[in-house]
Amino acid sequence: MMFHPWETVTKAAMQKYPNPMNPSVFGVDVLDRNVDQRGRLHSKRLLSTEWGLPSIVRSIIGNARTCTYIQEHSVVDPKEKTFELQSTNITFTNMVSVDERLVYRPHPEDPEKTMLTQEAIISVKGVSLSSYLEGLMASSISSNAGKGREAMEWVIRRLNTEIEELAITARGTLRTPMAAAAVTEK
Amino acid sequence: MNSVGEGCTELKREYDQCFNRWFAEKFLKGDRSADPCSELFHKYHTCVQKAIKEKDIPIEGVEFMGPNREKADS
Repeated sequence: MMFHPWETVTKAAMQKYPNPMNPSVFGVDVLDRNVDQRGRLHSKRLLSTEWGLPSIVRSIIGNARTCTYIQEHSVVDPKEKTFELQSTNITFTNMVSVDERLVYRPHPEDPEKTMLTQEAIISVKGVSLSSYLEGLMASSISSNAGKGREAMEWVIRRLNTEIEELAITARGTLRTPMAAAAVTEK
Repeated sequence: MNSVGEGCTELKREYDQCFNRWFAEKFLKGDRSADPCSELFHKYHTCVQKAIKEKDIPIEGVEFMGPNREKADS
């Protein structure tokens, strides 16, 4: 649960990257976007991520081999106030498959809060290590869920700072003494 | 944030700025007017598609739900 209204969270989630909690995401691209007949905004995006391999390993095996690409489809329904995202990896699919689904909606009792439900389905190919690795990835994903909330808080703070800075600049360009008094009051 | 195509980052930023403004000030407030970013998107989109082909990224050509067929030619 986040202590911000749904619109704030949705704006932030749309601009989630970059943020310090997800340093491996180095590229976000919009592949397609449109509004359907029900007024919902569909976006298809490509996320480019890099494993945290030490640079010496990267220089040996080359950068292209460490990039993982994720395709994300999201739908914003401004009437129902839901923001739903589904993502899946499109590289290394022969080894592992990570499907994630996130839904942001207003808290049913408090419109100043937003609920996030998050689920992930992980499948690891191969038999012997699969359940151990799945367990590892599941605990990593649940700790990432906490990171995800931290990331959202970070983006929201950044957006608020930008708005404040814009407001200060706007006030600064007014030259009347009344405006100057208003600024010092705050 | 960068684009997957190194040369596309500037185009991406211009489009993102336009989109984020429309998204926050119009779309989320229930304003149904179309976004003014189509031209910016078209330029950015052309660049990204080229980068994706060059890098051989296996994008699935999934058809969108919703019958908005007026897509720009790529």
